Amino acid sequence: MTVAGHAPETARTRRAVPQLGLLVGGLALLAAVAVLSIGIGARSVPPAEVVRALVDFQGTDDHVIVRDVRAPRALLAVAVGAALAVAGALIQTLARNPLAEPGILGVTAGAGFAITVGSALGLAAGQAGELGFAVIGSVLAALLVAAVGRRSPLRLVLTGVALTAVLGGVGLGLRLMLPDVFDMYRFWSVGSLAAREQAPLELPLAAIGVSLLGALLLSRALNALTLGESVAHTLGAGVVRVRAATLALITVLSGAATAIAGPILFVGLIVPHLARRPAGGSVPWLILYTMVLGPVLLLVADIGSRVLLPTGEVPVAVVTAFLGGPMLIWAVRRYGAGAL
Amino acid sequence: MNHYLMNTEFPMSLRRSFGLVAAVALALALTGCGSSSSDSGDDTSKKDDKKSETRVFAADNGKITIPADPQRVVATGYAVPVMIEADAPLVGISSWQRGEPMMNKEDLATYKKLPKIAGEQAAETNYEAVAEADPDLIVIGVPAPVLGDIDVKRLESIAPVVAIGPTVPSAWRELAQKQADAAGSLKQFDAVQKDYEAKAEKLAKKYKDALSPYKVGHVGSYGDVAKGTFQREFSGSWGTNIAEDIGAKYYGKVKESGPGSRSVSEYPSIEELPDSLGEADVITYSVKADGSVPESVKYVMDSKLWKNLPAVKAGKTFPIRYTEAATYGQAMQTLDAIDTSFAPLLDQ
Repeated sequence: MTVAGHAPETARTRRAVPQLGLLVGGLALLAAVAVLSIGIGARSVPPAEVVRALVDFQGTDDHVIVRDVRAPRALLAVAVGAALAVAGALIQTLARNPLAEPGILGVTAGAGFAITVGSALGLAAGQAGELGFAVIGSVLAALLVAAVGRRSPLRLVLTGVALTAVLGGVGLGLRLMLPDVFDMYRFWSVGSLAAREQAPLELPLAAIGVSLLGALLLSRALNALTLGESVAHTLGAGVVRVRAATLALITVLSGAATAIAGPILFVGLIVPHLARRPAGGSVPWLILYTMVLGPVLLLVADIGSRVLLPTGEVPVAVVTAFLGGPMLIWAVRRYGAGAL
Repeated sequence: MNHYLMNTEFPMSLRRSFGLVAAVALALALTGCGSSSSDSGDDTSKKDDKKSETRVFAADNGKITIPADPQRVVATGYAVPVMIEADAPLVGISSWQRGEPMMNKEDLATYKKLPKIAGEQAAETNYEAVAEADPDLIVIGVPAPVLGDIDVKRLESIAPVVAIGPTVPSAWRELAQKQADAAGSLKQFDAVQKDYEAKAEKLAKKYKDALSPYKVGHVGSYGDVAKGTFQREFSGSWGTNIAEDIGAKYYGKVKESGPGSRSVSEYPSIEELPDSLGEADVITYSVKADGSVPESVKYVMDSKLWKNLPAVKAGKTFPIRYTEAATYGQAMQTLDAIDTSFAPLLDQ
């Protein structure tokens, strides 16, 4: 018994070492990309001033740019990237569908529709107004999808797709009839991290932080769920509770991320694919890896959005689309869809 | 007359005869009896001759033969407020909501009453409505690149078409004059222009000493918050050209000049705010017609970099309303707004 018990434990320990090494490597990469993100911008700030701005703030223009413009933007990229990537990993695990992404549950469409209605009523003016309507819209859409889809992952996805189509159609109709609303919506509809530093983001950032922690705590139970409902029951996992909690986390993570930055596609789809193979079928490792790789991808895309064009910035969602498409094709061809 | 109409006992043939007699009598009365009729006939033919006279007009779309004295004009885009202000004989206009806040009560009533033959966009031109208006001249006031959205050939099958669109923002003076000239309405136009120039001259004298020592910079309202940029306007731009008429000296120029307004305004990142406006002694910024600060300008003013600017620290920042003025009448309102806004400079 003792000998038999030792063998798998040693194997698990051996496997955990490279997984831990990969995680540490990922964190180092994240730190490097974050520093690069703070150092690069439209105005040239010497590296020494960048460091001084963070450790000895003097209030000069360079310091203000680093601390009040670039650092909050990098922080947002980390939070939004982690939220979208983890939400993608959760929805793909829950729906057992490698093509599922956070928007599939109607959250993005709900946020966009709410902003359209808010703009038509003249209430969604300014960043705070947009943020408020995006949060309300995503939460209401998620509640509706959860109420109709209930326990079945397939019904949830179908309801989300149907709601997305309906809200998209009605919203488009409103925008075509009201050109001013269209004007406001088009700025929001292309996700961007620029100029978000002035918006009141404490609540969505706190919601993302708590939800990421919740996803980590839930990951062991989700691991059991991937083995099938009956096995999960046998292992003592409350299937209904785990599903409800996962759905709640997906809603909060993707809703908060969309409210902060607007719709950013591909991060929630591609990052779980990149992380699945090194995670080796373990949901906790998958969550940890996506939590690190999501921010890395979004920070790289955000740096790209600032330097790609000499004439100015392109929204980060455009860059993630350019990066995400080929990366997804490469990942699927190289590794296959991976086990879910 | 009423008696005849009411007498239903008359046979049909008799009623027709009475009608014929009445019509002849009315025609005689209107034309005047006897020898004077021929004189009047000459007047009418002279008038008709004048109406049928043409001239060649140089427009964006080439040299166009247009009526010398147009009687039924259709105007679109920037030509709409100009034509209304110049009392042109309009029979149809495009929608021009952006200009509504700058129209006076009378012009706004005219604008609302006139049939709309196009929406806000050039692509929304209703060709059947244009044909129904039966114009003898069509004046298109859209920028040259937008002209491609309009089926000019189709419009030319209805009436002569002259395209006179905006180029650089400050050129509204010449464009408006050209548009009014095409419609044969220069008299009223010249009167308003004279009023404007007199007012601008008076204000230039008033602010001569107060403005002369300062380098001025302007923040426009077309920045794109989603991209983290702001609009920096230089001399000859929308936000600056009227203030320049009273002596404000806007410094600097665009880094890379482009066509149209791109030659006098640019869209730098918010990070470049200190470099862009750091040398300004005075900063002006565009606000909406109701005085509220647009989102794109608010984004700049809420930035800590704005608060670090010397002009902001010195309290020398001034809002300007009606920066989109494109007629002399509208520009008079802009002058009033600038006068109100710059007043504190007189005390410094």
